[in-house]
Amino acid sequence: METSLIKEELLAQQLQNAFENIVTEAVRKDTVFAYASKEQVSSILLYAKEKLGYKSLAHMSCIDWLESDEFELVYIIWSPETKLNLFVKTRIDRQNPEMENMDMIWRQLNTYQREIREMFGVEFPGFVGEKEFILEDWEDAPPMRRDFDTLEYVNDTFFEREGREDKQDVRERIAKRSGEEIPDFAKKYSRE
Amino acid sequence: MREKSTTLYLGPQHPGITGNMMVKLQLEGDTIVKATTHVGYLHRAFEKLIERRNWMQTTTILCRFCVPEPDPPEAAFALAVEQIEGREVPERGKYLRSLVLELARLQSFMLWYAGQSGSTGLYTVGQWSVGDRNYVLDLFEELTGGRIYHMYIWPGGVRRDIPEGFEDKVLRTMDYIEKRIDDYDRMMFDSAIFQKRAQGVGIITKEKAMEWGVVGAPLRGCGIGHDVRKDNPYDAYDKLDFEMGIFEGGDVWARARVRQFEIRQTISMIRQLIQNLPSGDYLNKMPNPMKWTIPAGSAYGKVESVRGEFGFHVVSDGSDKPRRVHARGPAYVHGVSLLEDVLIGQNLADVSFIMNSLGVCPPEIER
Repeated sequence: METSLIKEELLAQQLQNAFENIVTEAVRKDTVFAYASKEQVSSILLYAKEKLGYKSLAHMSCIDWLESDEFELVYIIWSPETKLNLFVKTRIDRQNPEMENMDMIWRQLNTYQREIREMFGVEFPGFVGEKEFILEDWEDAPPMRRDFDTLEYVNDTFFEREGREDKQDVRERIAKRSGEEIPDFAKKYSRE
Repeated sequence: MREKSTTLYLGPQHPGITGNMMVKLQLEGDTIVKATTHVGYLHRAFEKLIERRNWMQTTTILCRFCVPEPDPPEAAFALAVEQIEGREVPERGKYLRSLVLELARLQSFMLWYAGQSGSTGLYTVGQWSVGDRNYVLDLFEELTGGRIYHMYIWPGGVRRDIPEGFEDKVLRTMDYIEKRIDDYDRMMFDSAIFQKRAQGVGIITKEKAMEWGVVGAPLRGCGIGHDVRKDNPYDAYDKLDFEMGIFEGGDVWARARVRQFEIRQTISMIRQLIQNLPSGDYLNKMPNPMKWTIPAGSAYGKVESVRGEFGFHVVSDGSDKPRRVHARGPAYVHGVSLLEDVLIGQNLADVSFIMNSLGVCPPEIER
């Protein structure tokens, strides 16, 4: 597998030559990673788009690294000429999460930024986009953060309808209510 | 009397899409001046759920990302996991995967026929194609046990081998469907109503298409030939003989022509896959699925669905659960930023028609 990474190595080298202080890595076939500081990301993306032909933005993602108190932002861009995926990765402070707004480079980033702002609470100063995207009237912590406990939220917010509590054997309840006997062959599936 | 602009909330339930999504339209007469997408009616927090599931349990959630096309997410996830883990897929597994993916494309094309013709009032085509789609679903049922959700593609290969006599059934179904498509085309593409409604409507500019993140049939309908199966071939696609449908115009008509061309390519590919199906193993087995850990790393797996590139960004921290699985469906771009732009200047009656043509699938936008 390691033998045919010529295109990938070349791209990694090109980026390395153009920018100081970034780390690039030809990871595997069709994939190159570039690790940069958050200030450098926009210039790397612009350089890749304008000079290297990485015209298409495939994806933008955010990962919560709770242990090291950081968010990782990943921009995945693709070139129609080299057919390579370039991952531009950066880490930002989790306590004060802020990232440069880049929807002027690719306007679909507007949608991604809206989602990441809503789900992780990352702010993009100067970014114009409707506040709500997926969630409606949400006032709690951003829900995709690792420290947001979904189960706790559900238990606090919703109640279970009477007779529909968790882990109830509905069939037995109905049988009991209507005074019917559960047949022997079905008794082994009983939960009570 | 001066005409004032009206605000119309179209949706969340309307015939243009599978799922619920609202488009807020600013109208002058019946011409759209501004469109804003509102999603959020189908948020099921799948990505959050996945953080609490182990790698194997994740596969049961993935197929639910997009109802009309449940297989591309499974395949994209499997590809990403294989990239991180370096797991090889046996040749037969690759062919079976491609077979399932192409069958999934076929059934999705048939749903598209229904949506596209139904939104112009040609309901007969829709009833035919949805009826005939059941023959493809029958094949899925026999192969995987499920008609809609299959959970068939696993990291490392596929879940089970094909049953006895399955090849013949597939070929017979293909012969039948191939004949039926000619009927659909006569009803739909030869219809003056459809031609008039589709031509010059919902235009995407060729110069901007690539940059705006347009993928799949809408991109090829702008005359730009990109297809994940050709550009970054996965599974058995590098061994198949097929062409991309590339048409100029960027309107609904061009996109329909692309799909009309590609459904036939899909049938030809299914035949090739059956004829050249190699023997051997179909799954490179993972260790005990409940204790299965993936080395730390990240990858982006992508496949070509009917609506375009479907990708998964998968991040592993080396544990038995995914750290982050983030989906990128074609509808994420097509249904929000692109749709809002394309709808401007269009007629109110064409909204669901255009949405269907772009392949907007709300369950995939909000997951």
